[in-house]
Amino acid sequence: MTGSRRTAAPEVAVDEAAAGFRTYEVYQRERVWEPRPPIKPRELYTPQFLDDPYPVLTALREATPCYRDWPGNAFWVTRYDDVTSVFVDEPNYVTRPRAWFAELEGIGQNRRDEIAVRGCVTRIVDAAAAEVAHALCDELAAEQDGAGAADLAIGFAARYPVELWARVLGLPAPSFAWFAERLLRLRRAGSWEPRSREDARTAFHELLAGLQPVVAQRRDAPGDDLISVIAGLGGDERDVVATLLEEDHDTLHGSLANLWFLLLTHRDQLGIVTEERRLVKAAWLEAMRHSTPVLIARRFTRHEVERFGRLLPDGALVVCSAAAANRDRRAFPDPDTFSITRKDLCHREARGHYRADGLCSPVSFGTGAPSKHPALPEDRPRSRFALTRDTAVTASRVLLERLGDVTLAAGATPTLRSLQWGELRTCWSLPVTFTPR
Amino acid sequence: MASSCPFHAVVDRAFGIDAAGVPAEPGARKDFPLMPVGTALDMGHAPDGTPLFDPRIFTTLEFQRNPYPYYRILRDHHPVFHDRLSNAYYLTRYDDITAAYLDDLGFNTIPKGSSSGVLGNTQLELSGIEHRRRRNVYGRHLVGLALEKRKPYIERLANELIDAWGLDGSSGTIELARSFANEFPIRVVCQVLGIPDDGRDRFFYWYSSMMNGLGGSDTAQQGREARQDLEDYVAELVEQRRKQPTFLYDEAGASIGKDIISELCATEIDGDVMSTEEITSNIALVVGGGGETTRGAILNMWYLLLQHPEQFAAVRADESLWDAAFHETLRHSTSIGGQPRQTTFDVTLHGVTIPAGSLVHCVDVSANHDDRIFAEPESFDIFRPDLYSGKLLRSGYAKEGRFSHMAFGVGPHLCPGAWISHQESVIGSMVLSRRLRDVRITVEQMPKDIDGTSLAPIGLGSIRNLWLDVELA
Repeated sequence: MTGSRRTAAPEVAVDEAAAGFRTYEVYQRERVWEPRPPIKPRELYTPQFLDDPYPVLTALREATPCYRDWPGNAFWVTRYDDVTSVFVDEPNYVTRPRAWFAELEGIGQNRRDEIAVRGCVTRIVDAAAAEVAHALCDELAAEQDGAGAADLAIGFAARYPVELWARVLGLPAPSFAWFAERLLRLRRAGSWEPRSREDARTAFHELLAGLQPVVAQRRDAPGDDLISVIAGLGGDERDVVATLLEEDHDTLHGSLANLWFLLLTHRDQLGIVTEERRLVKAAWLEAMRHSTPVLIARRFTRHEVERFGRLLPDGALVVCSAAAANRDRRAFPDPDTFSITRKDLCHREARGHYRADGLCSPVSFGTGAPSKHPALPEDRPRSRFALTRDTAVTASRVLLERLGDVTLAAGATPTLRSLQWGELRTCWSLPVTFTPR
Repeated sequence: MASSCPFHAVVDRAFGIDAAGVPAEPGARKDFPLMPVGTALDMGHAPDGTPLFDPRIFTTLEFQRNPYPYYRILRDHHPVFHDRLSNAYYLTRYDDITAAYLDDLGFNTIPKGSSSGVLGNTQLELSGIEHRRRRNVYGRHLVGLALEKRKPYIERLANELIDAWGLDGSSGTIELARSFANEFPIRVVCQVLGIPDDGRDRFFYWYSSMMNGLGGSDTAQQGREARQDLEDYVAELVEQRRKQPTFLYDEAGASIGKDIISELCATEIDGDVMSTEEITSNIALVVGGGGETTRGAILNMWYLLLQHPEQFAAVRADESLWDAAFHETLRHSTSIGGQPRQTTFDVTLHGVTIPAGSLVHCVDVSANHDDRIFAEPESFDIFRPDLYSGKLLRSGYAKEGRFSHMAFGVGPHLCPGAWISHQESVIGSMVLSRRLRDVRITVEQMPKDIDGTSLAPIGLGSIRNLWLDVELA
């Protein structure tokens, strides 16, 4: 009945009769302490919030550690220490699957955490990262008859992750456009918007149908790709698509677009990375901190939790705002400035903690729990965070190399924007001019 | 296919393909234009033809004025609708809601609804034995004999309010809310609670502020402040009445009994007297529940009856029909949309798993318009054979093709003010109709529908104003 609570709560003698009254009293206090709300209730859901969420998030962060969002029936956590504390607190908070239909239809097993799968993805992505970037640069250079004008957001950032995943799956070139369109649509599977979600579901079934013969063929004649690995583990096309569905496609796309948006709108910073190519990694980390593409992470309480001066009921939705945490001046002095050379940003990977070397890491992945495979030997697959970071850095280095004197096209005023509430906040159009090399 | 949607554009331009089926990017409000009443906006379809439901519509004007076709979509195609934007589930069928209300264990009342910030911790949020012990303490003042004894006061009050129009024997234009319906129920509440006359104007202000502050709205702060004022005021009364209880008297000067506050002061629950906080919270609830909803019921009832003159004539000819008119009004257009519940454990209903701890909205309004229960639910018909309009029962009523409406709920949390609300509305309206020789809606003063000529639909909640041309007897 209340099984989850029984197993998760510490072993304390519970006075059953008094339990309800305790809850009641805590709520009494909560009502009395309710501070003056820092924002209007609907401000989290306005079109302005899609364009620039930071003023509202700053108001929340400075006023209260945990904002009760009534219209969204959620609790917003906005301070750096609080957000990271939720990410690492797996006994108290749980992540729910993004796509309802995979679970509902009993489709597939998500195999992304298995060693063989991770190893395969890592190997292929590493091998193909630079190659794919060069191929895309060739296309950029060829655009408009080699005039050196292209759109980085569309021609590079949006395409790059899809091309990589086509390599990972080992799809033949002719089926690429087919796959790309469906993968992009599949990314909206977790949306609250019913048309997007239905569309993702359609894409999901189309992918299943399309991949079925490929899986059957690879089962007999395995190659060096993810489909063969999953087939070798006894999986089928449903497992392949379930794994794709749970992978993060947004962050690589969004971080590439946001990094280049920030570099092109901050010419001095672009100058720094042009001079010092090794600083591209720092630039990427700083871009993730300054303008994170994924704004929120959702967690649900496993049972009643008293935290942030509130009683979070069983099953409460806790919205961890990465955007607000990354601009928290308690963690990063001068948080609104985009500065590659800032000294207060941790460049190491956050594995189960966010303050390695006493410095704060950007909150861009919910890299909460340490790896499931803590004691693997040297060939341990890198984490998803490290893989995305390295891939983005490789791609950006290739861009720097191939696009000489890259600069914003005349008259272009690019902006960062979420298309729908809760979706990727990134630059959707970034026209540039350059000298092809 | 060219598109203005950036996502669309990315798919198109990045891969040179036509992403057919990717939805156009909806803007803000222009996606929800006002539709003719009874017609739903097309919000898209799944490949199998199932209509889709965009959760943003819940906050639009279109939904506010024309909710029923949308609830029909939910009932027919999404009996358990998961609104991912606001992290809630909607139950919309009569049977599901009845089952949820009767299942106090599985669907508990713990969710501190957005009302609790303003009203405090009330009976609305207690469950099980805690709730049951307190229920009768409040409830017994609002039923049975206590009610009968109050009847002369209610009649006198209605007559006083009508006298104040100064229209005896002549005709004029009145606004029913301002000159009758706003004040009438709140005066009854004050009388039941034993609030002294000098506090009643302030009471009315507190009550309106608290009502405006519900639902986590922009005015929630004003609601909380009003709630605090009310608390201070009532706390003082409570302290007085702990020492010196006050009594109510009938017309003849005989004591009816203690007023509710005095009763509550002396009541022991679990061997302990009730705290002032607890008394105040529940008084705040009685003020809200007894005022706003009855006001809405009276206004809606007159608005609907006057738009159906043959039914109004029948009611005037036979006063026993006021009961049916009252219940049909509540079925057709009730003030309270529904009640929140929280799942105690995972519940699977119609193939959807609702995780433990989820907020579940039981939409009473939709249950009342469920055509599995009520034939032609959108029409107002006080003679409808499938509506039960007898004595209100906690268990609900479902026999021989007659069903009770859901406006008061069923089960342990059945509205404790159901009986007094019924009594007030019916007696008030009866007195009103006896005094009126002629009455019609002042159409030119009333809000119009989108065609600009017909009267606006009630939609959710109740109408705010009702202008009437009246001629008094």
